[in-house]
Amino acid sequence: MKEGEALRSVTKQITQEAISEYAAASGDMNPIHVDPELAALSQFGGTIAHGMMVAASLSEMMSAEFGMDWIESGRLKLRFRAPVYPGSGITAYGKIKRVREADGGSEVVCSVGVRSESGEDAVTGEATVKTEAPS
Amino acid sequence: MSVDFATLEIDQELSDKSYVLDAQTVERYIGAVGDGSGIYQPADDRPIVPAMAVAALGLRGIVADLGIPEGAVHAGQELEFSAVVRVGDALRCRAVLSQYAVRGETRLVSLRLSVEDGVGRQVMTGKTTLLMPGGTAHAGAGGGGSAMTTAERGDVGSEY
Repeated sequence: MKEGEALRSVTKQITQEAISEYAAASGDMNPIHVDPELAALSQFGGTIAHGMMVAASLSEMMSAEFGMDWIESGRLKLRFRAPVYPGSGITAYGKIKRVREADGGSEVVCSVGVRSESGEDAVTGEATVKTEAPS
Repeated sequence: MSVDFATLEIDQELSDKSYVLDAQTVERYIGAVGDGSGIYQPADDRPIVPAMAVAALGLRGIVADLGIPEGAVHAGQELEFSAVVRVGDALRCRAVLSQYAVRGETRLVSLRLSVEDGVGRQVMTGKTTLLMPGGTAHAGAGGGGSAMTTAERGDVGSEY
C-alpha cells in the first residue's frame, strides 16, 4: 500500500433492466429511473441510473481491494456530479492518497470516482479504510 | 405523501423502520448492481451483505416515508460502515433532518442516517443530500430569494 498506487478498477455496463431491478430492490421507483416516457420530459431527457447504484461499483472496488476491512470500517464521501444513462459503460477507479498509522494498523485514504465511457465523472469522492497492516 | 421539509425542525426524526434483510432481497440487489466480489459467502456462517447494500436497503424505508418528489436529485452521500451485516439480520434504520436550505428554485435537504442491528449495535451511519424542486414555493421560513436564504438551517456547508 503506497501513496499514489492505483486501485484495481471495476468496469460495468448499465442497462435499463438492471436499473429497474435496482429500483425494485431499493424501493426507489422514481419515474426518472423507471419510466422512459416521463423521464423524457425531465431535465435529463431520459431515464438515469440511481446514484447509489452507480456508487455500488466503488464499494465493490474497495471490497475487492480491502476485503473485510472495507465491510467493517469503510467510509465514503461522494458527490454525484453527472447522470449515468442506460447503455453506458462505467468504470470505478481510485488511487491511494494517504496512508497513516492508526490504532496499531493503517488508515488508507483513497480518492475515488466513477467515470462514464464518455469520459465524464459521474461520481467523485473519497474512501477511507482502516487495515490491520502497518503503514 | 411528500413531507413538507419547511415545517420541520433540525434533528427531527423523519423515519424509523425495522426489517429483516432476507436472502431474496439481498440477491436481487447484488444481481442489479452486478457485484462480483467473492467475500460475501463464508463457508462457516450466513452470507455477508455487501456494505453498499446495507445503505441502499436501509434507505428503502426512508424513501417510502418521505415520499421524495419527482425531480429530486441525489446530490451527495456520506457513509461509514462499522460492522458486518449478515443475511437474516434485523436492522433498524432511522433518519433525521440535518439541514434544510432554499436556494432560488431549489430546496436542499440533508438527512442523517443510522442503522443498528438487532442487538442495538451500530452498523452504519451516513448523510444523504437531496436537491428538490420548488424552492421559492416552500420558503415560508423566511427565504425565497436567490443564493442563500434565511430559510437555511442546520449543518450548512458540508456539501456545497
